[in-house]
Amino acid sequence: MGPQAIAQGSLRPLNISIGRVPLSLLIPGPHLREKALSRYREFTADSEGGLPVVLRTDAQSDARPLYNGPNFSYVLDDASMQMDSFGAEFHGVRHEYALDSLLRILLTMVLLPRRGFLLHAATVVRDGRAYVFTGRSGAGKSTVASLSPAGTVMTDEISLLRFTDGCWQAYGTPFWGEFRAAGQNEHYPIEGIYTLVQSAEDRVESLTTKEMIRALLPCVLFFTSSVEANEDLLRLLLGFVAQVPCQRLHFRRDDGFWKVVAA
Amino acid sequence: MNLFPERNPKLAWREIDGEAVIISPEDSHVHELNETASIIWTNADGKHSVDEIAGVIAARYEVELPEATADVDELIEVLSAKGLLVASKRAGAPAGA
Repeated sequence: MGPQAIAQGSLRPLNISIGRVPLSLLIPGPHLREKALSRYREFTADSEGGLPVVLRTDAQSDARPLYNGPNFSYVLDDASMQMDSFGAEFHGVRHEYALDSLLRILLTMVLLPRRGFLLHAATVVRDGRAYVFTGRSGAGKSTVASLSPAGTVMTDEISLLRFTDGCWQAYGTPFWGEFRAAGQNEHYPIEGIYTLVQSAEDRVESLTTKEMIRALLPCVLFFTSSVEANEDLLRLLLGFVAQVPCQRLHFRRDDGFWKVVAA
Repeated sequence: MNLFPERNPKLAWREIDGEAVIISPEDSHVHELNETASIIWTNADGKHSVDEIAGVIAARYEVELPEATADVDELIEVLSAKGLLVASKRAGAPAGA
């Protein structure tokens, strides 16, 4: 039985929207539903008709990684997911952490044709504009977030960037790192993106397109080995780099970096 | 010997500022080629021979054809060893022949 058939069943969906991607989570059992509701409270949506996502607690024994057009599957430890044009099924979801991980993987695939992607990055809002700070683990994302005023941090871990309303925008997500915040379902136009380098001085350095692509690629969340999907991602990132100011930020682990970023 | 090099079809790539950036989706490894290697890469479509590609490079860099051919041969060997190019074929022969 596929997601479409199950979506027509008796489960009451938990409708959420992340990055303007509506999802209808069909969750078995009140315990997991309550956990999910708590985790995604800021992202609940009134509208129905989102992509059905059927959760199952049982593991799928024959799960294999796959990508074939709209069909995609992924195995993550004891959990796995499958998706097609009609929706997705998550298997082995015994707690909200597995749900969270599979949702991230699902979003990378759903966002790609919608001109969006997930990036390991902290995003901070200043004067109504989003500043995106990216880098691998330990680069300083959480440090940047901790040095920013309360209420201005959209995420300290995973940013959702998407081209909507004629420009690239950063969307709030429920996916956080050390801050463990609920997130805010808001979006702001991106002022710039900065690759983080800890340094003895605060300064920004311009990057070529190739340098920026080289910096971005390892930080993009992407889980498919499809050549077609990877070429779509490259094309998307090239469009992003062409339209969003990209710089390398050398910073001293204090809030002095704002003087060179928002100068 | 006139070979017709071909790009590995299992790789995703784009040309950025005249240089090829190649992703191996299987392991997410990123390869970046310099300008000369990128000329070979973009022409490695199974239709252009090594001699033809060497001709492009000789004209671009104003070097003698034998020198360009030697460079192309060497680079094809390197790119093939990295799995970026697949088996070349002789003109008129099926791939892998």
